[in-house]
Amino acid sequence: MKRMTALLLMLTLTVTLTPVFAGGSQETDEGPITITFWTHEDPNRTEIENRYIAEFEATHPNITIERVTQSSTKIQELILTAFAANQGPDIFNMSIEDEFAYIANGRVASVDAEAAGYSDIEALSDAYAPGSLDPVTVDGKIYGLPLELTNWSIYINKKVFIDAGLDPEKDYPKTWEEMADVSEKLIIRDGDIITRRGFDFRYPYYLVSFVPMVEQLGGKLISDDGKTAIINDEAWLTFLKYMKEWGPNGRNLGSPTYKNARKLFNKDNNDIGMALTGLYQQGRIHADNAEFYDSGEWMVVPFPTFENAVNDVAACYYGHYYMVNSQKSDAQQKAAWEFVGYMLSHGEEYLQKVNIVQPTKTLMSSEAYTGMPYSSVFAKDLERGHVVYFGEESAKLQELIKGAVESVMLSGVSPEKALATLRAEAQEMLEDK
Amino acid sequence: MKSQQKRIKHQSVEKKQARWGIAFVIPSLVFFSLFNFYPIINAFYTSFFKKKVLSLKPPTFIGIDNYVYLIQSSNFWNSIRATVVFTLGTFIPLLVSSLLFAVLIISIKKGNKFFQIALYAPAVLSSVVSAAIWLLIFDPRGLANQWANVLLNTWGADHNWLANWTMVQISTMLVYFWKYIGYFVIIFIAGLSSIPKSLYEAAQIDGTNSWQEFWQITLPLLKPTVVLVSTMSMLQCLKTFGTQYLFTQSGAPQDPINVITMNIYNTGIRDHRIGRASTMSIILFIIMLFFTWLQFKTSKSDDVEY
Repeated sequence: MKRMTALLLMLTLTVTLTPVFAGGSQETDEGPITITFWTHEDPNRTEIENRYIAEFEATHPNITIERVTQSSTKIQELILTAFAANQGPDIFNMSIEDEFAYIANGRVASVDAEAAGYSDIEALSDAYAPGSLDPVTVDGKIYGLPLELTNWSIYINKKVFIDAGLDPEKDYPKTWEEMADVSEKLIIRDGDIITRRGFDFRYPYYLVSFVPMVEQLGGKLISDDGKTAIINDEAWLTFLKYMKEWGPNGRNLGSPTYKNARKLFNKDNNDIGMALTGLYQQGRIHADNAEFYDSGEWMVVPFPTFENAVNDVAACYYGHYYMVNSQKSDAQQKAAWEFVGYMLSHGEEYLQKVNIVQPTKTLMSSEAYTGMPYSSVFAKDLERGHVVYFGEESAKLQELIKGAVESVMLSGVSPEKALATLRAEAQEMLEDK
Repeated sequence: MKSQQKRIKHQSVEKKQARWGIAFVIPSLVFFSLFNFYPIINAFYTSFFKKKVLSLKPPTFIGIDNYVYLIQSSNFWNSIRATVVFTLGTFIPLLVSSLLFAVLIISIKKGNKFFQIALYAPAVLSSVVSAAIWLLIFDPRGLANQWANVLLNTWGADHNWLANWTMVQISTMLVYFWKYIGYFVIIFIAGLSSIPKSLYEAAQIDGTNSWQEFWQITLPLLKPTVVLVSTMSMLQCLKTFGTQYLFTQSGAPQDPINVITMNIYNTGIRDHRIGRASTMSIILFIIMLFFTWLQFKTSKSDDVEY
């Protein structure tokens, strides 16, 4: 009886586990090809990309594209767990801070230039704006093609300025010190509770918009040789003191726990005077509040600097790159690059319908781009900025900076103590690679 | 001879039944092995390696280095602190309040079903939805500040529900308490209903009052349910994740509410260090196993028979 039970148990386990461990097989180079394409939700993109899929499938009858969308907050972990189980999609895109680890670990294939529609890799490199392929270039090979390259400048609601007796064209803040002073004039409080903020930061994105503030003061996140974390104590302390003053225990101008300023801006509800965001915001303002978009009551101004800045640095730019899974068959990789190339050949439509910028030289010099409101402000800030830190440990570093800023803003920790903790943890992280 | 034949026949029927019993149990045993035992054994094995989620290289065996690292890590000890504070701050009020509510509801003649449904309703919501609701309430311009200011007569004060070190811990406890109170009230009501009414009638004849009935009859006879609820609520609290995760995603500081499960998630998913995350999981598993064993051991002598 016992033997029979054991046999039955083993048989059932074998039957149950076989499909689990048998996964991950590759499709052969011949016959129909199915390409899985995972991307974040964006209704405007879905509309045009579904059309590209239909067009591509019509000209490539042996290829089927399966496009799957997930929320932008969930997609990182879904792709990560899929790759951990060697079941990653053929094509995917994320922000470069999250994607670089896939290059570093050999999980993605280098670009097949010919399949993507270029004569060779030089022609492909030459088609893109200088520096825009740097984050995905390792040892001379290119591992991704940009879906979008984004940088942030300051959007201003003119009505809020006028309501506070300010002239938005003249009185907009040029320095971070002015940003705090102007915010103080724009702010409305009910006791300690802010009912209208002048400006507030984009708190989760410390690498994109906070690190440049430190760099303006001469500080750095990581030394050039990559061995030392948190360079120039004075710069970091000045920055942390500024943030402490910004928070509820200082001048009470804003806090991470208030609603996202960028989203509030579109509503034009007298909630926020200024918000930090990208060119894509224009499409979202138009979608959320066409009346406000058409009113001309908003404008865009450059990313400020500190009064005693030693470097003129704007917010970092970051990119979403289409990448192809290196664990797929050669035929699948080729088909995937062909499809990516086909999608990206519609740069102007992406700009007009989705408001995202693909950094090709053709698009950036086109009338479609230069004719967009305030595109020159973004273009100039792009020149002042640099790509966001995208090392394998970028997410952890961002979390450490978040911890330091929040501890001074919200928990009453002194900037000196917060800096010491930040340095120790960041250094430990670098050494534990 | 006849009795021996009868016994053999009886045994074969028993064996036949046992065989069917085993056949019915095997699918769930397989399911349990696959989704519970296998991950536990795998996590235990992985905890001895330096392993990155995305790396295609074989993981490096490092013995107990991950355990040593965690014992020396202030970040991990902070997670232990956050988990202990949350568990004690949530499961004790949950246990006491759910018992009180259950006694109160069962004593109400009219409308007790309504109260049961009203209390249970939040339990059917996912942690994400309940955290989203409470994020609106805890917004500086939300209801929490308005209520607190009316009650405390502190006009315009921002109580920093999601910002202050202490308040954010209280906020997570409040959400959990709100979400699970109804669930445990229902379990207590089931336990209370199983106590024979004749015991109360006999006690009333002996002249006891309601207070004495509660302490002398209800509570002693409810001990198995108390043990069940305390074990379940404690394990739930030790596994808490969704509320803390959503709160930190919405701007709340991480350190005060960085419970072990969130640290495991961040170490494994954000930092890609799956070996170290597995080690934390094993430590959490041992903690949970120890407290479950302790609760069952201390309650063994309290088995109740009517």
